[in-house]
Amino acid sequence: MANLKEIRNRISTVSSTMQITSAMKMVSAAKLKKAQDAITAMRPYSEKLTELLQNLSATLDADTGSKYSEQREVNKVLVVAITSNRGLAGAFNSNIIKEARNLAANTYAGKQVDFMTLGKKGNDILKKSGTVIENNNAIFDELSFENTSEIAEKLMLLFSEGKYDRIIVVYNHFKNAATQLVMTEQFLPILPPKPIEGQEAKTSETFYIFEPSKEEIVEALIPKSLKTQLFKALRDSVASEHGARMTAMHKATDNATELRDALKLQYNKARQAAITNEILEIVGGAEALAG
Amino acid sequence: MYLEIVTPEASLVAGEVESITVPGVEGEFQMLNNHAPIVSVLQEGKVKFKGNPTIAEGFEKKFTQEDGKWVLQISGGTVECNNNRVMVLAD
Repeated sequence: MANLKEIRNRISTVSSTMQITSAMKMVSAAKLKKAQDAITAMRPYSEKLTELLQNLSATLDADTGSKYSEQREVNKVLVVAITSNRGLAGAFNSNIIKEARNLAANTYAGKQVDFMTLGKKGNDILKKSGTVIENNNAIFDELSFENTSEIAEKLMLLFSEGKYDRIIVVYNHFKNAATQLVMTEQFLPILPPKPIEGQEAKTSETFYIFEPSKEEIVEALIPKSLKTQLFKALRDSVASEHGARMTAMHKATDNATELRDALKLQYNKARQAAITNEILEIVGGAEALAG
Repeated sequence: MYLEIVTPEASLVAGEVESITVPGVEGEFQMLNNHAPIVSVLQEGKVKFKGNPTIAEGFEKKFTQEDGKWVLQISGGTVECNNNRVMVLAD
């Protein structure tokens, strides 16, 4: 039987761990709410932008070759892995790392695959197994459109200069607080917009004045839509991170409660056994005296 | 006419206005009621509008008053006007 003091120490350790995990859970829940609001806030912008771009590209000839839609033979691939700076979020980071490695080892086997990491956790691990051309941790300190634009512009430059033939973004998509989906999105070259069924006729209804020309507007809108795409991925990832951490911490708290209850039972049993023993000894002693 | 100004981070303005002036890449222009449908790219400059639409909470500081008009500084963007609805996508 483990001694009483040992069990008592373990109970207090488990209880303080429980306090930490439940506090972290509440912090994540609050941050998750904020992150979700942020996703909602950017929706009107991204929807309108996509709508404009789709309407415009539909009326233009399919081959208005923007420098970002050029399809080249794929030799050099850049994988942008979006992870977080902090751990304790369940499989949040390892899923991304697994997917990034899978892309390098299977999908693009035999090609040159480099990584760009956003978030410390991904960088720590990916730099051991591959080339990380750049890492950015600071982006999560202040996640603004401006900061995201800088990264997006860098990616666009890498593509248009021909340093990479394909750029892929891997991130966690926020489905709900308990579920994150690992998404692998092609960032560059731009995939031709898929015509939405039943919407094809809509484009010709309004005769817009275009200032400057349609082509120039599309040229100006494409970089914006790329930036928005990256921004959305980052925001999604942040919300997912908090969701994942919340779930992980919830489970940790549950486990700690279970462990604490088991330990308490063990402690009480041990205590009772000790008391019984003591009584037996006293009774035995008294009987010996009386006898 | 109904005006909406949105940025990637938030929706700033929504509501009825009398007129809007935007800094188009080919020169500043104004839109009044029943303006023809237009799509234009904007450059750095000031978006001015007359009227009292709802300005999102926490963003009042971005706006200034000038000759009875609200003024917002933008670094670029896009504007779409159709059917008396104006949507400004500001950066």
